[in-house]
Formats: sequence, structure tokens, C-alpha cells
Amino acid sequence: MSLLDVSGLSKQFGGLTAVAGMNFTVTGGEILAIIGPNGAGKTTMLNLLSGLLQPTAGSIRLNGTDLAGKLPDVRCHLGLGRAFQVVQPFPEMTVAENVNVGALFGQPGTTAVEAEALTRDALMTSGLWHLRDTPAEDLTLMQEKRLEIARALATRPLILLLDEVMAGLRPGEAREAIDLVRRIRDTGVTVIFIEHVMPVVKDLADRVIVMDYGRMIAEGSYAEVTANPAVIEAYLGTDEEGEDAL
Amino acid sequence: MSPLRRVLPHVVVLAVFAVLLWFLPGTIRALFGQASVSYVTLVTNAASLAILALSWDLLARTGQVSLAHAAFFGAGAYSTALLSRFADVPLWLGIPLGGVVAGLIALALGPVTLRLHGIYFAIATLSFTEVLRAVVHQLPSRIAGGAPGLNVPALFRPTFVAGEMERWEVAFIRNEGYFLIYAAVLVFTLLLSIIIQRTRLRYAFTAVRTNQEVAAVMGVNPARTKLLAFVLSSVPVGLLGAVAAHRFGSVNPFETFSIHTTVLALVTPIFGGLYTTVGPLLGATVLAGIEETLRRSLDSGYMIAYGVVLVFAVLFMPRGLVGLLGKLFRRRREAAK
Repeated sequence: MSLLDVSGLSKQFGGLTAVAGMNFTVTGGEILAIIGPNGAGKTTMLNLLSGLLQPTAGSIRLNGTDLAGKLPDVRCHLGLGRAFQVVQPFPEMTVAENVNVGALFGQPGTTAVEAEALTRDALMTSGLWHLRDTPAEDLTLMQEKRLEIARALATRPLILLLDEVMAGLRPGEAREAIDLVRRIRDTGVTVIFIEHVMPVVKDLADRVIVMDYGRMIAEGSYAEVTANPAVIEAYLGTDEEGEDAL
Repeated sequence: MSPLRRVLPHVVVLAVFAVLLWFLPGTIRALFGQASVSYVTLVTNAASLAILALSWDLLARTGQVSLAHAAFFGAGAYSTALLSRFADVPLWLGIPLGGVVAGLIALALGPVTLRLHGIYFAIATLSFTEVLRAVVHQLPSRIAGGAPGLNVPALFRPTFVAGEMERWEVAFIRNEGYFLIYAAVLVFTLLLSIIIQRTRLRYAFTAVRTNQEVAAVMGVNPARTKLLAFVLSSVPVGLLGAVAAHRFGSVNPFETFSIHTTVLALVTPIFGGLYTTVGPLLGATVLAGIEETLRRSLDSGYMIAYGVVLVFAVLFMPRGLVGLLGKLFRRRREAAK
């Protein structure tokens, strides 16, 4: 059975259709990339999944549970973790405290002692252990991105939603981030990520969904979608600009 | 570390503070004799201000600026007034019930108002205060006393025994009694604040204050967190209103629901330092001292000077007294290195 089942999902903002009838499934343990031009509806798609937006039509099922009307905190409890595109740490807290929020509240019934252990694990995995007592406002961009991931990880998600985690990173840093995402997948977490940097998609994704104007225009392996004429037309262009980014 | 082990050291400090409060009136009396009557009033006013400030800060920690403190104060005051008048409820029970009534009002008001942010929540809570005042005012006067209000029985009636005590000692005994009850409410409020600051609630409150959406996707329920803060914030004010009703001997719609209460509750923690336990306590102590000093030295117009002090405080101490002291402390430590 599929872990995540999205069917007929649509979102309209007034007259604008941001997501139009998306259908896809995600199986446990895979890394799925969502790509597409700016304004294609990728972030809206993630917001619909994590419950920050409610869909106009369609349904999302996680492990068979219908998520309709479920608020973001409930979806987090059910196993949807989220790292934001624009990093948003809690600036007054230290790195460890930021992660501890996810550990304490990500799954109901977590004791403070268990949360401490979860926080340590998440900090170790994301390479932030040595920065644990640093105020979150003092981090570099790469460290902030790691913190976004660490916080989401501490909530013990079944599915981790990553929104352009590589944006703004230098090539070396992107390499580290790719390794991090792989390590997370190897612990059994399913990953859905939005990305513009094509080599990252090529490296990481088991499967790729291409969106344009809110619709899915292609789905398949990296090789399949990049060879698809519709994708080249809508997104890639004739020369792959993305190659320069890594 | 388990939450209990994190809370416990602070509770021990609080217990020591409570013991000091217990001995404070006696100490003042030993030091100042007859003048101690007004000094005990002064520390009672400081305690009152600290309760207002700290309880307001509890909600502010979730990012909500409330202008409903006068409403909860009035609710507590009128509860105990009406209970002692109609239900013959003993006074020791009427006061806690004042806190309970305030908490229940917050529980009912919260779900409709807490979805509003910033200025909109502030306006909604201010409107609620005015509505509650108008309702109390317009109720048939055989129930709530209308505009003149109601008399409330005193908690302490020491009798003068000629030859055994001096005249002023009667007033002292009464003031001491009220101070100790105010001190008990203050210790309760401090305990609430410590529990919030030393448990997971601090994480939830701070997360909701700094970024509600992010808090939600990390599993924190913002609505429930804010409602909890609202209720916890209202109970001490309800208790304070109830005690104050007995202390001053009457309630009426204008003084009991005074906007002054709301303003003090908001200004004092800003002056002392927001989102801390010590800040509002320190702010209340210093402000009560400043107000009294100005009142004695300036006679009329002292409120203007008081206002000037506050304006400068907000301009030059953006993080309050606590922020200022922290900065001085760090500077000294760095200089020592």
C-alpha cells in the first residue's frame, strides 16, 4: 500500500488555480522530487500536504487516514515533517531548544527525557551538535538549513517535506546537504523535496514529478522526465542551466 | 533532566521568597514603628502591581497583547461581592471562587478572540472589558448595585483594646493581614510563571509567539497553547480583584473595571522586562517605589512625572530593567576577563 495518496487535489486563490487536480502516490522509503518553473504550485502543494492551506477540492491520505480538515499540528503528529524554503528558526532560542520544540511536541506523549535524547540524535544527524548552545539567530545559512531539517527530524516524521533546501548553498555545502538527505532516508524516512538545482535532483531523486501551472506534466525517473519534450518546453529549456549551479 | 528536577530549585527559591514576605510586615514594624502602617500599604500595592504585571506577562509569552485585565479583575471582585451578599459564601471561599470565575470567563472568551492577532486581539479584549462593565452597570441595582456598586465585607476587623495597644497598631494589624493575602496570591502567580518557564510550556509559548505556522507544523497546537495561557493569566487577576474588593470595602462599575488596571498590567512588565518571571516582579517593585516617592515629593501632578519616567524607560531600556541589568552584568564580566 502507498504511504501517501494524493488524489484530485486542487487549490484556488480567488481566480488563480495554484494546484489543479494533482494525483500521485508515494511509497514508503522513496525520495520523490517535485520540480517545475517558478509559480508552478510546488510550495502550495507542500502547504496543502502540511495543512497550512486547505484544498479547494481533492483528498490526501496518509497511511490510509484522510487528512481533510486536519490542522498542521495534527498532521505533524500523524507523521508529516516540514522544512521551510525560507528558513524560520525561533531566533530567541538556542539551536538545541529549537530542535527540542519538535522533539517535545512532534509526537504526543513524549516525555522531556525522551525529547532530550531525540534532540541529541537530530543534532548529531544534521551535524549541529557542536552548535547546540548557539543562539539560532547567529547561524549561517547552511547551518540554518540544517536546523530546519533537524527540527523536522526531531518530530519523527514518516515523510519529510523539504522545500528548496539547497537554494543559496555553495556547491560544497549542497554536497553535504545531499549526504544529509540520504542519511535521513536510510533511517527509514520518506522524503519529498522541491528543488531547482537539477544535478541535486539527478543525484537524490528516485522519482521526479514535474509541475507546471498547477498540473503534473510528467512523472518518472530523472532520465525519463528530462527527456520528456513537454518538460523541456516548460521548464528545462534547451540548454540545462541548472548544470552550472553545482 | 526531568521536568520536576528543573522546576524544583526554582520552587525552593520561591519558598525562601515566601518566607521573607511572611516576615516583611513584622520587620517593617520593628524598623519604622508607627510609620510602618503606610509602608505596609506600599508593599501591598507593589505586590498588587506585581500580580497584575506577571499574570499579564504569562499571556504575552504567547504573543497576545491583552487589554482584558480590568475585566478579570472586575469579574473576581464582583464574584466575591455577589457571593457574600446572596449566597452567604464564607469569605475564604469567595476569594478563590473569584479566581475560578475569571478563569471560566477566559475559557469562554478565548476561543472567539484568540484567533485575532496583535492590535485586533487587543481591541477585542478592550471591548469585552467595556461590555462587561456595561452589563454590571445595567443589571437591576438590587442585584449588582448599579452605578453606586456594592459594599463588600472586610476580611480583618481588629478591635482596639485600650491600654494593650496603640491606636496605629489597629491599622497595622489590618494592613498586615491584607498584605499577607496579597503575598499569597503573588506567590501563587510566581509559581505559575516558574512552572511555565521550566517545563515544555515555555517551548510552546515561545514557539507560538515567534512563529505560529512553524510551531504548528512542529506539532504545537497554537489555539490550545494560547487558550491555556489566557486562562492561566486570568486566574491570578480574578483572585487579586476579589482580595482588593474586600480590602477597599466596595465594588462599582467605574473603579472596579478601571482602564487603569489594564494599563498598569501592560506597562509594568514592559518596564521590568518581558517574558521573564523576575522582570515583572522587579518592574512592579521599582515602579511602586517611584510612584510613592513622586507622590510624596510632588504632591499634585506627580502622575505627569511618573509618565515621563515611563516614557524614558521605554525609550532607553527596550528590554526593560532585566535587559539593562543583564547588559551591565555582561559588561562587568567581560571587563574582569
